[in-house]
Amino acid sequence: MSFAYESKTPLVEMINISKSFPGVQALSDITFDLYKGEIHCLVGENGAGKSTLMKVLSGAHNPDGGQITINGDSYPALTPRLSQELGISIIYQENDLIPSMSVAENMFVGLEKTTRFGLLDRASTEKSAQEEVGKLGIVLDVRRKVENLSVSEQQYVKILKALVLKPQILLMDEPTSMFNVKDVGTVLALTQRIAKQGISIIYISHFLKEVVQIADRITVIRDGLVVNTYKNESRDMDLDVITMDMVGRSVDMFYQKEQHEVGEIVLCVRDLQLTKDSPKISFEVRSGEILGLAGMVGSGRTEIVRALTGADRYYAGIIEYKGKSLMLHSPEDSIQAGFAHITEDRQQLGLMLGQSILENMTIVGLGRKIKNFFLNIKRHQPLVEPLIETLDIKTPSLFQEVQNLSGGNQQKVVLGKWLFAESDFYVFDEPTRGIDVNSKAEFYRLMSMLTKEGKSIIMVSSDMPELISMSDRVLVVRKGEIAGEIPHDEINEERIIKSALGM
Amino acid sequence: MEQVKRKNFFGKISFKDQRVLMIAVILLITVVVTIISPKFVDIRNIVAIFQQISVLGILTMAMALLLISGGIDLSIGNIMILSGVVTSKVIMGEGSVTLAITLGLLTGLVCGFLNGVIIAKSRCLPLIITLGTSQIFFGTSLMITGGQFMNFSRKFDFIGRTRIFGVFPVMLIFLIVMVAVAFILLNYTRFGRRIVAIGGNERNAYLSGINIDRYKIILYSISGVICAIASIVFVSRLDSITATAGSGYELRALTAAIIGGITFDGGRGTIGGAFIGVLLLGIINNAMNILSVWPYAQTAISGAIIVIAVILSNLDNIRKDRR
Repeated sequence: MSFAYESKTPLVEMINISKSFPGVQALSDITFDLYKGEIHCLVGENGAGKSTLMKVLSGAHNPDGGQITINGDSYPALTPRLSQELGISIIYQENDLIPSMSVAENMFVGLEKTTRFGLLDRASTEKSAQEEVGKLGIVLDVRRKVENLSVSEQQYVKILKALVLKPQILLMDEPTSMFNVKDVGTVLALTQRIAKQGISIIYISHFLKEVVQIADRITVIRDGLVVNTYKNESRDMDLDVITMDMVGRSVDMFYQKEQHEVGEIVLCVRDLQLTKDSPKISFEVRSGEILGLAGMVGSGRTEIVRALTGADRYYAGIIEYKGKSLMLHSPEDSIQAGFAHITEDRQQLGLMLGQSILENMTIVGLGRKIKNFFLNIKRHQPLVEPLIETLDIKTPSLFQEVQNLSGGNQQKVVLGKWLFAESDFYVFDEPTRGIDVNSKAEFYRLMSMLTKEGKSIIMVSSDMPELISMSDRVLVVRKGEIAGEIPHDEINEERIIKSALGM
Repeated sequence: MEQVKRKNFFGKISFKDQRVLMIAVILLITVVVTIISPKFVDIRNIVAIFQQISVLGILTMAMALLLISGGIDLSIGNIMILSGVVTSKVIMGEGSVTLAITLGLLTGLVCGFLNGVIIAKSRCLPLIITLGTSQIFFGTSLMITGGQFMNFSRKFDFIGRTRIFGVFPVMLIFLIVMVAVAFILLNYTRFGRRIVAIGGNERNAYLSGINIDRYKIILYSISGVICAIASIVFVSRLDSITATAGSGYELRALTAAIIGGITFDGGRGTIGGAFIGVLLLGIINNAMNILSVWPYAQTAISGAIIVIAVILSNLDNIRKDRR
């Protein structure tokens, strides 16, 4: 199917959309449009702004500037409700189904069909549900409970649920990220069938090969800007062109890290298997080295480091640190060995938000550094103060609750608690997510400081400039496996992206 | 920046407010009641108030520690009774007072340990588990007593009736010591700081290397022992015990702790606050007796005062949410 774009007016027009979050310009002057019955794919790295753009369209975010025109009517911003009334329906990455309900019930949550006595009309619900299933050409018994379905079947239910609302526009965010190859084909076919019914689709994916198979147009965004929009009428867009658009940043986005020699191997991981069926992973880390772990979101990077820090149990494998073989059953074991874990989500996992800086910073060290049973927390103040200075945490007092600090300062408190505990191997999971540019630079300075002292760092990051400027070496993770190792002088965006995408 | 500052300001005030406000309410009640009936501030009446709250006060310490750790124990009333029943069984069987008290304390420890192990290992909600174990403890007390009154033949009298300098009852020492122990445990020990950390953010505490299960088991066990200590004070006042005597204590201890600024979320709250909560409950009850309020109205009135006090202390949060 090919489009005569010139002869029609677009169904959706987003003009000069901007959106910033504290410290980050998520979208700047994005212009994007969508025609009836079209599949328009959005590609870009993690954090490029794809999901933010979709959230502007679904009404979850208010843009700072720009205009959204749908069906000829213009709006400065949408609300979730308005968006739904305009026929926009979104399928999120996260699972929002109710496991204990049947497929049919899930599809009609909020739109329950009733008999004339006001009771639920199960027969008619199931009949309509089965019709929808039939229209998509898949086989699925709508009476089955969602909790008994496979992951891919649940994905179908999410799509079906969105279709029940009779949308004009369907937003699909990484619909195939959890699928094996065979099911991906089904989803792609399904997507095309939906578009044939006249529904317009915005399809977000980092699997470029899939995108090229179904897209009428492909838009590449990077750092909140539209790089290019390509027509893909004959389904043969050159993947290399797209990849080059996804990378290619100006130099000033990179932090200039002081280089220094790395030392001996300190950590040696051999045949680490997270679960019984997962692939074996082997790698090592040297003293004074920053090892970057790259990969798409969901590729299994976090899981690997969570095994190292004892946050999750692993199935098998040998972890040797400084010549000693470690058995890590819990974070306690890992901390005992000298590991620090700066978690991905500082608010949920890294901090006690309602408690003071002092309490947060001493929590790990209470076991390692301060061994007395009786203690007086105020006496720890002089121990913590020098760290506040090193970390340059901006606060009037150590007794300030951490929830009142900025994101950057909060993240420094997280690092501070490990410095206080005198950890010597640091695992950073997305160290600078959601913090402003200045704090980022500060954080990089601290990481360099650690490695200069001979401490080692494993850094999981989706932030490409960060990976490139900070890592001494990069391992690329794809589908739970180490897909590639990139030595220091060969680290660049193209290498990382291609390896992460499996090209 | 503006917003951060403002939030900070409110945060600080509201935390202090809770206790300051409750003290203000206590003072208000005291002044009003004293004007109507001056004997309210008589030293003997004040001692009587403290005597009346001694059992509840000790139990509230257990509840406060658990709530701050993010847990809860609804079986504390029945642990107290079971310990008391075991103690009385020994006394009635002509055992020594030392043996009786030892076995009573041991009973509390075992009950608390049981709660702790089940909660830590099963990862079920403590609310539900302790509702269940509470019935087990109550049922065990019923079986031991056969539903009868258990007598102590004045063996514990010295605790209830001895008065230092003729006014200061020995049982108050139990209360004061337990409040002090809870205070020191929470604020001046590694154990206490870790309990607060677990209550503040359990997943963070785990990732910070704290053995959550171990701490939970120890804390519930401590709570059990505190209940057993409360039972000593309890029986020393009444000289007898029945299986049904413990009902309602867990909810009153919970009320006192919440009034005192401890939250269900865990991670915040103070022992001092919990004690103020207990004091407020005690003063309300005593004042109504002094004023000869119609006995059948007393329960409803004290309920109303609690609701008003809690609403007042939550005004800040109400404002925050609406913003």
